[in-house]
Amino acid sequence: MTIQRTDSTGRAMAHDTVGRFEDLIERHHDEIYAYVWRMLDGGYRDEGALEAADIVQDAFERAYRAFPRLHPDSNVRAWLYKIATNCTYTALKRHRPQTRLDANDSEERLGDPNPGPEQSVAYAEDVSAMHASISALPPNQRAALVMRYLQGLDYGEIAAALGSSEESARANVSHGLRRLRATLAAGIPESVE
Amino acid sequence: MNEQAQSQGMDNQPDEDQNIVTLIGTPNPGVVRGSRRRINEWFEKTAPVITWDTFDSPLGRVYIAITEQGLSNVEIGTSESEFLSRLDPMARTERNTSVVAPFTRQFREYFDHARSRFEMRLDFRKTTPFQQRVLETIRAIPAGTVWTYGQVAKAIGEPTASRAVGHALGTNPLLIVVPCHRVIGNDGTLRGYKAGLETKQKLLRLEGAPV
Repeated sequence: MTIQRTDSTGRAMAHDTVGRFEDLIERHHDEIYAYVWRMLDGGYRDEGALEAADIVQDAFERAYRAFPRLHPDSNVRAWLYKIATNCTYTALKRHRPQTRLDANDSEERLGDPNPGPEQSVAYAEDVSAMHASISALPPNQRAALVMRYLQGLDYGEIAAALGSSEESARANVSHGLRRLRATLAAGIPESVE
Repeated sequence: MNEQAQSQGMDNQPDEDQNIVTLIGTPNPGVVRGSRRRINEWFEKTAPVITWDTFDSPLGRVYIAITEQGLSNVEIGTSESEFLSRLDPMARTERNTSVVAPFTRQFREYFDHARSRFEMRLDFRKTTPFQQRVLETIRAIPAGTVWTYGQVAKAIGEPTASRAVGHALGTNPLLIVVPCHRVIGNDGTLRGYKAGLETKQKLLRLEGAPV
């Protein structure tokens, strides 16, 4: 166990545990916040930002409790994402009724690809259809897409964060993309490409 | 894009894929800063400072640690790394002679026969409620006298709990200040002591107890 060891000056590593965790907050807080915010639709729901802060705190509290047991060679970043993912899923489950509504809503919009008369209005609608499609993705696909394209994790890290195999992480990314591309093909003819 | 490329996945055209996903958005920097501040404040409270120091005594090196609640650990004749490894691993530890000085002074006075009672705040947070009850009870035993484990059990109102009392005293984190060395067996033998029986005997002799 880390705290039993001493460093070269004979000081116990207990001090170092705190220092290393402070370092971890410094290095990873912002990306973990962005990740949780993105999972919660912070850009489209005002409560998203508020909730994200609660979930991030929950994640760091859990991380700190588990920190002494973390193997020194572990990928700390993937480990943090895993904790943040679990906390986020718990929160999403709590709000399932609302998530359901969003999903129905998106289906309606996708089923009625009615381009408006004005290009700008059409574009806004397309973006919102696209967004609805993103928020209707199963959590694992959404998480994998966000980690891959917005958070810059590699597949090994995504797999570790989702507690899955690397193949499954890749499958989540490609299935998610396929769904989004289908929306793109149906709802956004040229404006985005 | 052809069917095959599509089924193979995203690596063929990461730019476009990134564009799609970018619709999810990015939190504004102020919100991120707010959350970071909140985490930093939480962590400062969660990982409190434990200040410690060490000094020489007639019994060997004494290590003491204090928290914002008061004295939390006293050990005799141990090594520095062993002492530090027993402090709360979730706290920052920091050696600071001047902060600990008011506590150290009382120990010096005690070893110089200039003090028989310690007057300082004690941090019992790492003890169980039962242990705390036992430890607070035995603080009343005057220097120079001894009680038996059975007497302590009676004093806390649980006359059959001698064994539990012995265990509570055996893991006393506040040696000397909470005088578990003043508790001995019903048959007059010293029984046990965390820092060794020899140390227990020296402490009792220092206090003039009849042992």
